[in-house]
Amino acid sequence: MDSARKLALFEQSVMPHLNAAYNLARWLTRTGPDAEDLVQEAYLRAFRSFETFQGQDARAWLLAVVRNTCFTWLRKKGDQPTIEFDERMHGVADESPSAESILLNQAALGSLNGCLEALPLEFREAIVLRELEGLSYKEISDIARVPVGTVMSRLARARKRLQQCLEAALR
Amino acid sequence: MNCETARRLMETNDPALAQHLLSCPSCAVRTQARYYQAPPALEQKIRESLRRDDAAPVPWRWLAMAASLLLVASAAWNLVLLRSRVDPQQLVASDVLSAHLRSLAGTHLLDVPSSDQHTVKPWFGGKLDFSPPVKDVPGFPLLGGRLEYFDGHAAAALVYGRRNHIVNLFVWPSATPAPETSQTRNGYHMRSWSANGMTFWAVSDLNETELGDFVSAYRQNN
Repeated sequence: MDSARKLALFEQSVMPHLNAAYNLARWLTRTGPDAEDLVQEAYLRAFRSFETFQGQDARAWLLAVVRNTCFTWLRKKGDQPTIEFDERMHGVADESPSAESILLNQAALGSLNGCLEALPLEFREAIVLRELEGLSYKEISDIARVPVGTVMSRLARARKRLQQCLEAALR
Repeated sequence: MNCETARRLMETNDPALAQHLLSCPSCAVRTQARYYQAPPALEQKIRESLRRDDAAPVPWRWLAMAASLLLVASAAWNLVLLRSRVDPQQLVASDVLSAHLRSLAGTHLLDVPSSDQHTVKPWFGGKLDFSPPVKDVPGFPLLGGRLEYFDGHAAAALVYGRRNHIVNLFVWPSATPAPETSQTRNGYHMRSWSANGMTFWAVSDLNETELGDFVSAYRQNN
């Protein structure tokens, strides 16, 4: 493949998934600037190994590269013990737990993102890929490099944690 | 309640939503988790870095250069193999056939027209650095002889007749004996063999059997 054609083909098939890439990196790293750098790095990596892409789902293929780039970076950074959800940080503000429905919904929205962010890395990864990207268990197991059974149990545990977290926030 | 209902409830700020969220964290994530959009400048940054990477001299240029060198080397090697695969015997055979055809096409069939081997044989003396065995072959009268050159070396051409057919027998000295061959080219039959440090090629438009008879008779007649 000559390089002009490779570049055109790459941009055509992989560039449309930039938001998915950024969203995953943003949820995994939890910071905007880092996510931006890592997505850029992931795109370079993907471009260099574009020969290994054989026409499967470009989004899943790209997300695998993004995921690995982020995990490598997080591991190097060494701050991986996930921050446990802290109700005082993410919970409803002091104003009335029994407040108006509007406020309650606002609180639910606010605490949901906080709850998701507080999930352990592997749980967060599974939830984002499953609920936000709509990937199949098989696709997630390929990306996370774990058996499908592990994906399912991670999802189940992640949902349980989210539920507990939401209950705590809404009470 | 399903997620779609939840979405609608979100819009109407229905208090039932909170209840549903508690029962379905998946729905909560799908309907309300933030989906981060890439910053607008990111796409341009990536496109630029891809182009820089693509234009980088390493390692593609070197790979391409190495690949083309390899290609040239392999082409050269194939050429060598191809040339070496051409059987030297076949090259001689085509030279022999050409000489035979030349002798029939022109007026230069005989330098020494004689049916007497004792006339023909001495004629070659002083013209060749070897003495070709000129023999009488029963059934194939000797017509004479002439000089030929193959690959820069002088050779004797002994000419025999059979009815209206001509047999050219080429003789030249050779260091290594070549295997006997029998072949047909363009309707002409050819036989070759080695004996006494000389190579013999007989070629004629005679049929294969009669040429075989000629060769046997010539070789048996000492």
